[in-house]
Amino acid sequence: MAPLLEVDHLRVRFKTKSAVKALIEKDDDPYIDGVMGVSFAIEPGQTYGLVGESGSGKTTVARAIMGLLPVHSGAIRFHGENLVGLSRDRIKPFRRDIALMFQDPAGSLSPRLKIRSILAEPFRIHDMMPENLSVEVARLLKMVNLSPSMGDLYPHQLSGGQARRVGVARALALSPKLIIADEPTAGLDVSVQGEILNLMAQLQNDMGLSFLIITHNLAVVRHVSDHVAIMYLGRFLEQGPTQTVFHRMRHPYTQALLSAHASPDPDAVHHRISISGEIPGLVSRPRGCEFHTRCPGVQEKCRRQFPDKAGAGKDHRYFCHYPLSVPEN
Amino acid sequence: MAEPVLNIRNLSVNYFTPRGTVQALRCINLQVPPAKVVGLVGESGCGKSTLISAVIRLMAENARVAAGEIRFLGQDMHRLSSRDLQNIRGKDMSMVFQDPMTALNPVFTVGRQMKDIQYRDAVSRKEKLKRASDMLSLVGIPDAVSRLDNYPHHFSGGMRQRITIAMALLVQPKLLIADEPTTALDATLEVQIIRLLKELQTGFQCAILFISHHLNVIAELCDFVGVMYAGELVEKGSVRDIFHRPGHPYTRALLECDPSVIAEPTRFLPTIPGEIPSLIDLPAGCIFHDRCPRAAQVCKNTPPPEVSLAEHHTAACHCLEV
Ligand SMILES: Nc1ncnc2c1ncn2[C@@H]1O[C@H](COP(=O)(O)OP(=O)(O)OP(=O)(O)O)[C@@H](O)[C@H]1O
Ligand SMILES: Nc1ncnc2c1ncn2[C@@H]1O[C@H](COP(=O)(O)OP(=O)(O)O)[C@@H](O)[C@H]1O
Ligand code: SF4
Ligand code: SF4
Ligand SMILES: [Mg+2]
Ligand SMILES: [Mg+2]
Repeated sequence: MAPLLEVDHLRVRFKTKSAVKALIEKDDDPYIDGVMGVSFAIEPGQTYGLVGESGSGKTTVARAIMGLLPVHSGAIRFHGENLVGLSRDRIKPFRRDIALMFQDPAGSLSPRLKIRSILAEPFRIHDMMPENLSVEVARLLKMVNLSPSMGDLYPHQLSGGQARRVGVARALALSPKLIIADEPTAGLDVSVQGEILNLMAQLQNDMGLSFLIITHNLAVVRHVSDHVAIMYLGRFLEQGPTQTVFHRMRHPYTQALLSAHASPDPDAVHHRISISGEIPGLVSRPRGCEFHTRCPGVQEKCRRQFPDKAGAGKDHRYFCHYPLSVPEN
Repeated sequence: MAEPVLNIRNLSVNYFTPRGTVQALRCINLQVPPAKVVGLVGESGCGKSTLISAVIRLMAENARVAAGEIRFLGQDMHRLSSRDLQNIRGKDMSMVFQDPMTALNPVFTVGRQMKDIQYRDAVSRKEKLKRASDMLSLVGIPDAVSRLDNYPHHFSGGMRQRITIAMALLVQPKLLIADEPTTALDATLEVQIIRLLKELQTGFQCAILFISHHLNVIAELCDFVGVMYAGELVEKGSVRDIFHRPGHPYTRALLECDPSVIAEPTRFLPTIPGEIPSLIDLPAGCIFHDRCPRAAQVCKNTPPPEVSLAEHHTAACHCLEV
């Protein structure tokens, strides 16, 4: 099947200081790389998971796909058409097909608007007001299992789980093909988290939606995503089918990240692979392999030379000079 | 159990709203023994933050303690003068919240803030700064001495949270209260914070009251666990009793929802069907009955008794009566 979304060597740069300041300080490269050449594809009806430590660039990838950030280089193809560099008018129909569910629903729902106005916003922004708005609002609320009377409430009158549902309903408003969900369940307890993820799976089944899910929660990613990418300092250090990445990982960072996860058993013995120190800043990107400052298996070559991308079977890719051996079975 | 550091007895808290009185906490009994970690879990809205606000006596304006008492080191928190209260908060009792920026002031350097928090101690400025940098090293901030001159925004999210923990511990409290301190962090940082809390708790002999949605973190860090549902403490016990021998049907359901215990990948995760009842019009009988798979007729009419399952392990449920 042709992919719905294809991201090809995407690079996003941020300016660190003003042009004048850069001139005064004789800094000829006042930029940092937020996203450093990532490539991946999402098939229709599939879920892609994006995992990584805070500040690794997950939200930046999402914002670039949404067209909310200028792209430095690379391509973002949707239905085969490259969105990078398209004029505002040409890009508009594609925008409707990609919807964003925000990282913080309570913060992103305007506190002074009633739920019905919040759900009307996407129609207004895209100049697509339906003839009968209240019918449309009721339909959206029903899709996320909320009663139509909720339309009259304000966001602060909702529980955490209900607010997330409104976030899902808002994303569904223009019948998108791809929903980008940034931390869809952060801060929810496990039972409500399950409800939201089940709702998303249900909608995916019924409507053939694709999802790009960004999360810290490895237990969630393992269940809900078909493919996963492990992000670090703006790169995908490892990516592939979820089962493969979780059980046959080749990159030391993936292994460390997965081993950090605690078990809900007080007697569990953890075999954690400790990675020391902090994630380095984007301004002081390490030379060679960018994970070498924290890698337990670092060797001389890693400090000098950036590893080539290597593959192991279908779709499985990683960057490492000394990849882990694959466990038996 | 030794004389508890924190002793919450029969605590009930109401919120007064135009729609009616929200009975947010009802008859809570919870003890935190010295140098132990007590965890609180439960669905959002069950009253965890309300409980903490009552303990530290920083309640919302429309909140009232309707009954019960909170004793901290033997003193009744709600009868203290505001001066005594000031002396307790940030000295014998300190707090860490979900968002580190609630505790850090963006316009002052970290060193300045860590010095100021020691204003009660009659030692030199130099000594205070030394204590601050020692504490920063202890929580794993590299180059602690030079980083005292940095402002909060110079640190990453995980570092900021470690700085707030360092600040909370500088005063050597008897009780540290942490409301979801790791929710905004990823797995590697979460592990670092837990390890840190555990070391500090052993080193400083400090008791911790710890709230988190992450059951695995609770399992790893806590000695005792309380499970809350819709304003009631429905079960409490040692961490092993709660995770290995849960009694209350709500606790069981909650533990089964944790995606990390489900070995086979699945798109459809377990949930607890139904919703938390209104805390304005409380249902009769057991608070969990409309969602409980084991509910019987008696559950709809009669509030369940507190049943003792083992030493320090109790649950409020009819189906556990022997
Ligand atoms: N507008 C901007 N200008 C400069 N730097 C930025 C900007 N937006 C993001 N960054 C930097 O880019 C990096 C990636 O940020 P991003 O928000 O994508 O992280 P994230 O992976 O989503 O993190 P989290 O898990 O905390 O949400 C960070 O170092 C951040 O400070
Ligand atoms: N200031 C307030 N006024 C009215 N109701 C409140 C207020 N603060 C909290 N509540 C209600 O009290 C209950 C418990 O809330 P909270 O303690 O914040 O729960 P938790 O921290 O467990 O998520 C909820 O039903 C909540 O809506
Ligand atoms: S290239 Fe070297 S430093 Fe980088 S991940 Fe592989 S072993 Fe570690
Ligand atoms: S008292 Fe009844 S309804 Fe309540 S938890 Fe026990 S069995 Fe369920
Ligand atoms: Mg983000
Ligand atoms: Mg809370």
